[in-house]
Amino acid sequence: MTAEAPATEPSRIAGAVETRLALDRRRRTRSGSELVVGLALVVAAQLALSAVGGFPESWAVPLADWIDEARRWVINNQTTHWSFSLVFNPISDSIDWGLRTVERFLLWLPWYVVAAAGAMVATSALGMRAGLLAAAGVLYFGAIGLWEESLQTVALMTVAVGISVAIGVPVGIASARYDRFQRNVRPLLDAMQTLPAFVYLIPVVLLFGVARVPAIIATVIYALPPVIRLTDLGIRTVSPATVEAAEMFGATPRQTLRKVQFPLALPSVLTGINQTIMMALSIVVIAALIGAGGLGQVVLESLRRLFVGRALEAGLAIVVLAMLMDRVTHGAAGLGTRRRRLRLMPDSLERLGFVRAIEGALGSVDRALCALGAVLARPMRHAPGLAPLARRPRWVLGLLALVVTTVVSAVLGRPEFPSAFTFSFASAMDWLVDWVRDNLYEIGGTRFGTGWFSDSITIYAVTPLRELFSTDLAWPVVVLAVALAGWRLGGVPLAMFCTACVAGLGFLGMWTLSMDTLAQVIVAVVMAIICGIPLGVLAARSDRFERMIKPVLDFLQTIPSFVLLVPVIIMFNVGRIPGIIASVLYALPAATRLTNLGIRQVEGEATEASRAFGATRGQTLRKVQLPLAAPSIIAGINQTVMLVLAMVVIAGLVGGGGLGLETVKGLRRTDSVGSGFVAGLAIVLLAMLLDRLLQAWTRRFTPVEGGP
Amino acid sequence: MKGEFGGHYIGPVVTTEQTPLECHEVTKVFGDNLAAARTLLAGGCDRQKVLDQTGCLVAVRDATFSVERGETFVVMGLSGSGKSTLIRCLSRLIEPTSGTVKIDGTPIGDLDDQELRELRRQRLSMVFQHFGLFPHRRVIDNVAFGLEIQGAAKADRYERALEVLSVVGLGDWADHFPQQLSGGMQQRVGLARALCVEPEILFFDEPFSALDPLIRRDMQEELLSLQARMRRTLVFITHDFHEALKLGDRIAIMKDGEFVQVGTPEQIVSAPADDYVREFAEDAPKTKVITVGSVMQPLDGEAPPGEPVGLDAVLEDVLPRLLANSEALGVVDDQGNVVGAVDRARVADLLGESSRASAARAGRGAERR
Ligand SMILES: Nc1ncnc2c1ncn2[C@@H]1O[C@H](COP(=O)(O)OP(=O)(O)OP(=O)(O)O)[C@@H](O)[C@H]1O
Ligand SMILES: [Mg+2]
Repeated sequence: MTAEAPATEPSRIAGAVETRLALDRRRRTRSGSELVVGLALVVAAQLALSAVGGFPESWAVPLADWIDEARRWVINNQTTHWSFSLVFNPISDSIDWGLRTVERFLLWLPWYVVAAAGAMVATSALGMRAGLLAAAGVLYFGAIGLWEESLQTVALMTVAVGISVAIGVPVGIASARYDRFQRNVRPLLDAMQTLPAFVYLIPVVLLFGVARVPAIIATVIYALPPVIRLTDLGIRTVSPATVEAAEMFGATPRQTLRKVQFPLALPSVLTGINQTIMMALSIVVIAALIGAGGLGQVVLESLRRLFVGRALEAGLAIVVLAMLMDRVTHGAAGLGTRRRRLRLMPDSLERLGFVRAIEGALGSVDRALCALGAVLARPMRHAPGLAPLARRPRWVLGLLALVVTTVVSAVLGRPEFPSAFTFSFASAMDWLVDWVRDNLYEIGGTRFGTGWFSDSITIYAVTPLRELFSTDLAWPVVVLAVALAGWRLGGVPLAMFCTACVAGLGFLGMWTLSMDTLAQVIVAVVMAIICGIPLGVLAARSDRFERMIKPVLDFLQTIPSFVLLVPVIIMFNVGRIPGIIASVLYALPAATRLTNLGIRQVEGEATEASRAFGATRGQTLRKVQLPLAAPSIIAGINQTVMLVLAMVVIAGLVGGGGLGLETVKGLRRTDSVGSGFVAGLAIVLLAMLLDRLLQAWTRRFTPVEGGP
Repeated sequence: MKGEFGGHYIGPVVTTEQTPLECHEVTKVFGDNLAAARTLLAGGCDRQKVLDQTGCLVAVRDATFSVERGETFVVMGLSGSGKSTLIRCLSRLIEPTSGTVKIDGTPIGDLDDQELRELRRQRLSMVFQHFGLFPHRRVIDNVAFGLEIQGAAKADRYERALEVLSVVGLGDWADHFPQQLSGGMQQRVGLARALCVEPEILFFDEPFSALDPLIRRDMQEELLSLQARMRRTLVFITHDFHEALKLGDRIAIMKDGEFVQVGTPEQIVSAPADDYVREFAEDAPKTKVITVGSVMQPLDGEAPPGEPVGLDAVLEDVLPRLLANSEALGVVDDQGNVVGAVDRARVADLLGESSRASAARAGRGAERR
């Protein structure tokens, strides 16, 4: 320190400290007092309006009647009006034709050819072990006597995914190319992804009626966004330097796209297709409600008649299908860990001599087959369309083998799936259900058990909350509270949007049902967060724990929402609670994953610096890791809420009540399509409301580029 | 820009005459197959062989040194030579695979979590190579973090933080977030954060690397004046040899995780242990480092006439006189006894030798090409 330092320095610093402390205090009291004032407002409004109660039913707009009218008009004009004969019917007919063709082809193939084909695809994407598992999976379809239904679902999926990709990839490319186009498509995609799958079924039913084609159309609409989004993203993230280099060599835009951008974007596109497949699968199952048939139909029918065992069998088939498709497309996108092709045993057994011998032998067989394939492929090399195939001798050989087997089988007469191979564990499951009911409901005669658990949730959480929202609170108070939240998070525009959405629920005549659904969503979200975030924190702190729960989370995320209900019903019977539990299970992975990810992404040196100053693990977590992971955690909560909403709605199928049940009724019975449509609309409003609020909340936590 | 690192002291003053920092055969191996790596190392295998056979990376190997109170110990070495790993082992941010680190005579490997935290709170602090700032906290809250963890009152820690911030020239940036600052400014925030707690032992991992030359010089001066007044114990990593010469009492040169040479700047410059060290020392201003004592001839016979020079005068100080007349100069020790002589030829030899050596190396390089 030099002598000429100003003598006033200490006092200047003291002043600065004072102002800073005062500022901090003011900031804290301000956000505190805002909360207090808001609460006081709500309470005062409630006291003033205590006599008002739920939304007056007489104010509801008779939308349902209008819809029914429209539906009648559609039925009457289906054959005559131009929009049907020129637009809807041709679409419908061609899709139907495609579906029939695929389905007939798949069912015509002998069962062992299908199994072998599945094994081949899985082997080439993931390795031999996966191939064997795939074959086993396919055989499972036949073994439980659901061969036909399974292939129907596969056919449905093939067509729906095919259409999605055929539309999605070009749209994605266009949206990567033209910023204006992207700006227009974006909000639409956002909206499409916000809505629960379920909602798509209703308008499609209105226009196309109840059958498999509308199911496909609904599936395509629902599953389209990921391909578009990820194609766009993949192309846009190709480094500008690479594109510049291509242009420097005089490539046309089309050449640049074909030779540089698209190949580089391919992993991203494939990820998109993977997501599309998973989404398609989840809705194809639900689409059984509108006559899509297939495995979904079996699950649905069985659940409806409370044949839980059968439902589980079929549900398992869907899970097998989902896992197969997920892993294979994942592997094809080069995302998973690629195993060596010919490994059959766990790597830890590699030391054993005989394991190495077996794998060595497999290797020589593989080499021999490869050589044979190469010989067979030689003539193809100059055929225009077949050249790429010629470079893959294994494929050539495999395909030839499949074709030959198929033809031979066709000549000899197509074999049915041998009945000797079939089995069923449905009755065992039913026994288990009974056992659970008898023994876990009140474990060992105490009052604790699943019964106590679900009763407690019902009595202390769901019912009071529902009563509070739907009848105890005056409806303007609910509107006010939501509007205040909107105002706090996103200013006046969001407040107005929220007001419109909540009031809209009332004007649709869906006040009580919406509040019921909302109560369930809130309970499930709270439960999912209470379980999910601590799990995420634990996973972030211990690699062992992360490795342990990863497969569980993967599994939960692969199961289509609807199928997840089945095992939960085994534990908790039907009603509102299984819906809530299933929602928690369905949404939990998102919260856990993103918490874990967020904490792990915190820069190593920041955590280290905190440790270097002697912070305890708790302090480091509180002061450094959690605040830095906040955006990610909130994104997780955001997803949790949307997933819960989707699931709670679906749980309407198993006695969840609320908007979901109303929608299902509309899908099932033609005379209540109108009210089903209105309920669907209410779901849309609810989804948009929650989504916008959450988005605004997320934005507050995302650090703005360059400062607060 | 000048200021004072010190202020009122928070935390206990420790006046032990123990060596503040001792490091004995510290080794750090990254990887899963540690047992196998240990056996190989014990058998004397080199780093590449350990990597090939076990997949484990030996980042630091058998580092032994101690740093006295008031001393600045500089560590240099190429990228990846294990400097950051070593400095992290000193506070157990990274657990050493073997070896002991003693702080004030206490082996820190034996401390439990609570004791280790206390040690870090009261005695140590660190500047990180990549700054390690907390992006969600304002600059002032970053700087005050150490005091916050110690449980200091808000007013106190803000006061101290503002003091230190004005020392590093960032007094006006207290309420900004780190991302709003340039790289060099962020680095100074990291520096201020480490100094704010007034620790006894400071670990600096390339603390000035992102600073412009002017501020860098200011900071170096600050550090020197801090050392002169407060006599802290410093471990300082840098890639800049001039900086090492200026700040370091001793310099350690690391290569592939091992110390190749540890010595005073003069020893490193005048007697590099091998080519690796020589290349580091190559463009050092030798006349500023090498002392008369190391080039003089022992006295035989008559002491040269004229005013003698001291043993530890650097060459730069005597060069004008040597160049001005061809006579040798007498060299005297602390007691004033004449112990030797130094003449123009001796100095020219020394300086010429090193430039010949570098010319020869350049020639070899050219041949290889
Ligand atoms: N956490 C880690 N896991 C595995 N290897 C590591 C880890 N940290 C460092 N290493 C390896 O240890 C070696 C030494 O790294 P270190 O960061 O200590 O180098 P450095 O001397 O500080 O280099 P630089 O001058 O570039 O900062 C490097 O080869 C690095 O790859
Ligand atoms: Mg380093």
